[in-house]
Amino acid sequence: MAAADVRDMLDLPAEGQPRPHKKQKVVEKRPEGITRELFALLGERAPPIAISENRYKGRPKWMSKLRVRPWRMTPFSNSARSDGLILNHWQRQPEVSKAPALEGPAMEVDGPKEEENTPQALGQESLFAKYNIKARVPRHYTDEEYNRHLKNDDWSRQETDYLVDLVEEYDLRWVVIADRYDFQPQPVDAEANTGALVPAKRVRTMEQMKGRYYFVSASMLALEHPPSEMSEAEFDLHEKMMKFDADRERARKELAALQLNRTADEVREESILLEELKRITASEQEFINDRRELYTRLEVPVSVGNTTMYQSSQGLSQLLQTLLQADKTKKRRSILGAEAGAAASPASQTPTSNAPTNARDSRAGTPSTVAAAAAAAAGGAAGGPTNKKAIAAAAAAANKEAQQATKTLTATEESRYGVQHHERLAPGVQFRSDRAQKLTQAKSNVQTQKLAGALAELEVPLRLVMPTERVCKGFEKLIHSVNLLLDARKVAEKVESEIRVLEASRDAREAKDKDKEKPVKTEQQDDQLPPESTDTAAAANGTTTSTAGGDKNSAGDADSKAVEAPSTSQKRSASVLSNGSDKSSKRQRK
Amino acid sequence: MNSSIPPSAAEYGGDEVSAIVLDPGYSTTRAGFAGEDTPKSLIPTSYGKYSLDGHEKLIFGDDVFVTPRPGLSVHNPMGKDGIVEDWDMAEKLWEYSFTSRLTGAKPGNPLQNGLNDISEGDMAAEMEGVESSEDRPLADSPFLMSEPGWNPAKAREKTIEIAMEKWGTPAFYLARNGVLAAFAAGKASALVVDVGASNISVTPVHDGMILKRGVQHSPLGGDYISSQIRALFKSNSPQPITITPHYLISSKTAVDAGQPPQAKYKTFPPEKAPDASYRNLLEERTLSEFKECVVQVWPGPNKLSALGPNGVSNEEVARGTPGRPFEFPDGYNQVFGADRYRVVESLFDAKAAIPDPDSAFPAPTQAQTVPELIKNALNGVDVDIRPHLLANVVVTGASSLLYGFTDRLNQELMQTYPGPRVRISAPGNTAERRFGSWIGGSILASLGTFHQMWISKKEYDEHGPNIVEKRCK
Repeated sequence: MAAADVRDMLDLPAEGQPRPHKKQKVVEKRPEGITRELFALLGERAPPIAISENRYKGRPKWMSKLRVRPWRMTPFSNSARSDGLILNHWQRQPEVSKAPALEGPAMEVDGPKEEENTPQALGQESLFAKYNIKARVPRHYTDEEYNRHLKNDDWSRQETDYLVDLVEEYDLRWVVIADRYDFQPQPVDAEANTGALVPAKRVRTMEQMKGRYYFVSASMLALEHPPSEMSEAEFDLHEKMMKFDADRERARKELAALQLNRTADEVREESILLEELKRITASEQEFINDRRELYTRLEVPVSVGNTTMYQSSQGLSQLLQTLLQADKTKKRRSILGAEAGAAASPASQTPTSNAPTNARDSRAGTPSTVAAAAAAAAGGAAGGPTNKKAIAAAAAAANKEAQQATKTLTATEESRYGVQHHERLAPGVQFRSDRAQKLTQAKSNVQTQKLAGALAELEVPLRLVMPTERVCKGFEKLIHSVNLLLDARKVAEKVESEIRVLEASRDAREAKDKDKEKPVKTEQQDDQLPPESTDTAAAANGTTTSTAGGDKNSAGDADSKAVEAPSTSQKRSASVLSNGSDKSSKRQRK
Repeated sequence: MNSSIPPSAAEYGGDEVSAIVLDPGYSTTRAGFAGEDTPKSLIPTSYGKYSLDGHEKLIFGDDVFVTPRPGLSVHNPMGKDGIVEDWDMAEKLWEYSFTSRLTGAKPGNPLQNGLNDISEGDMAAEMEGVESSEDRPLADSPFLMSEPGWNPAKAREKTIEIAMEKWGTPAFYLARNGVLAAFAAGKASALVVDVGASNISVTPVHDGMILKRGVQHSPLGGDYISSQIRALFKSNSPQPITITPHYLISSKTAVDAGQPPQAKYKTFPPEKAPDASYRNLLEERTLSEFKECVVQVWPGPNKLSALGPNGVSNEEVARGTPGRPFEFPDGYNQVFGADRYRVVESLFDAKAAIPDPDSAFPAPTQAQTVPELIKNALNGVDVDIRPHLLANVVVTGASSLLYGFTDRLNQELMQTYPGPRVRISAPGNTAERRFGSWIGGSILASLGTFHQMWISKKEYDEHGPNIVEKRCK
């Protein structure tokens, strides 16, 4: 019955207002391809509340389309077995199955049974058959081989067979073999008749068994391939087996037993000793490390450069210049590390092994290495004044080391090699000749000249030709005595001049009385002068004139006069000296 | 891990063939499926025998403890040294152990299940034909059994005979329980110390094989400890303690410690009373409860009778420890002090045994104590593997659960062998300790590599029972 009929019956207006309303809603029907939720978001309406259901999340949908793969109790055999034992295990049915899955329980019962005994099902190889491994044992010997190569008085053929079988059975597990070894010699009838003595059951040790088996095995190996044709592995094996020493093995086992059965005290002692040993070895390593570090510090880098260029004085001065240069750059040393310093000096091609030390204390280390290299190169030539300290430090270190090294020298040896010991060393490098030279420099120029004069007179060169230690010592002594003499002469001259002044005054007084006595006095002085030098005579004249000129002139005045004439030659001063010395000697004689 | 994906066999090397593992012991018999972690079926090895209406009836399983039937006597098919004595009963008992819980009742022959009436003559005729391998209890399960290391060849042959011919198993293997216990501990080489009910055995195992010359056993097992406890009760100081099992007590009232029990006892007229062996069995149950609750092994470092490390006598120290109370079934209760150490001390020090002239156990010799057994076992094997064995001492067996046993054993071994490293591996889990050799069997029989070891029916038929000697080395 349609709605129209009902309306007719009830006299309702046909198809009235509500229809269009409904139609409106239908218009909003979402187009294909848009989900309801997304469509709901499109209009002005508020989004619908999402209702989340707590549902068990089963397997993904795509899985439910898969067919269930049943597990079946499947028979299988293991190819490691010879008897074809068929065992059953649960196995998943393979994916592809020709039969439709759901065929009813009756089919399922019958299905596998049909397959069960087909070879295909049994052909399923067990995964574990591959683990069926036997140890490789050599080929069994034949009677002939045994008689020719393997005969042994100690081992009968039966026992050897038994042993070889046992070894094969237990896969060379010697511990088990020795445990199960139980050979019962079967009495041969003939023997039993003659001897009638049952051979005593022998206890074979593992070593005996090993020895016998290795011998048999090695012999068989050698029979198969002569040792010359063996591969390396085979040959090794052969060698190892041939060299098996049962006695040594037994001794080793005895030791092992001793080791096992130690008493608690022995164990404690051993552990203490081990501890001690560990401590010693540990500290030894430390000691070695310390010593190595010390050596790297002390070691003077070996110069590999050519030193001939520094043998001449020109070369030396050049070195000095470079050193100075290096030192100047060092003053601004900040980033210029060891390498820069080392590079500054052409001579110091320091071995790289010293680099860490240099890098660590670049300030102290670098100049010293440079200086040391320089010193080594120059063989003790002059160091630059600015670098002196560093050179001295290096030299001192070297000296100290040398001292330590030569402590054992005897006195004669020391003198022979020129070894000397110093109480205290002045800083810096000094040359012996320099020191000798310094001695000739007196405080005043006059004095220096006098000294030079005296030396010239003694025919000693001012600069020593061979400034050895002894020569220098002698020179020092000489200078010392010359100085003494000079002092003495000074005093003598003073006294003499006083005398002269006094005499002059007396003369003047006497001249006042009688004027003629004066020329005699001058003559006397002229006589005393050496005749060979005219200059001296002139000077003497000067002196005499001065003394004669003014009686108020003192000896100090005479000295100052000599200062005023610095260009006076050595010869003159020498003569003066000799003069003085003669006079002093005369005085001494008096 | 997705349960729908089988674990790949290479992962754990397992490949189950639904084998059944049977581990018969003197006290209990364990049976279960290979691959499980505990035996499903655990029954006492003792069985009850009584006669009803002239027929002899047997009771297997735990039922034996329950009802004091008239004339019920309790027997054990195993000998004191763990070797089967009564083969017929052992077979029945073992069969019960796996049929009762594991293989279940087969759907019976419809001709026999009593629902179908068949005339007498027909039935007999049918019986002949139906008697096939399907009837055998183990027709579709490979069968692994354990045996003690000193099992004689005769007994082994008899075992395989039963399994193959009576039970119809398709494949059989006989493994030493020492080896199995080592496997359960995850070791192929170990020194297994098995403290059972009737025996303590020490088995050196190397690469999964026992070293026969090192196998040692002594009768100082759990039953010996029970006899020591009985001796202690006899000489108890306020009054000698008698054990009255529960079945003899109808009611009891609580009494103070040390006071005589106040209980009403059941009495059985002589013709209804069970055999003395039944009472003995139930007394043993009380005693094992006593062992679990009270008995303690002196933990060392020295013997109980010796001086301790600080110069004080160990017994003095033991007396100082708080006692442990125990209430007997009849309500008598007492606190046990230093005595609880004495009952097990003879496992380590033969001189400390409590003398008891009535006991079935002769006084132990020093060679029977655990440290001596281990020493002898080690002396029986090659010196090269001794340190390795000492580093792998596996302790198993229910009696090793005595409180402090492994500590003491460790102390003793450290004293005997101060040099090598001694390491005892004893599972803390009670079940793993009790069923050690069964669990090892379960592991072994579920291994894929073990498939080639089974002795198949075919091989048995070919070589006879002697094959067990060749294959189960």
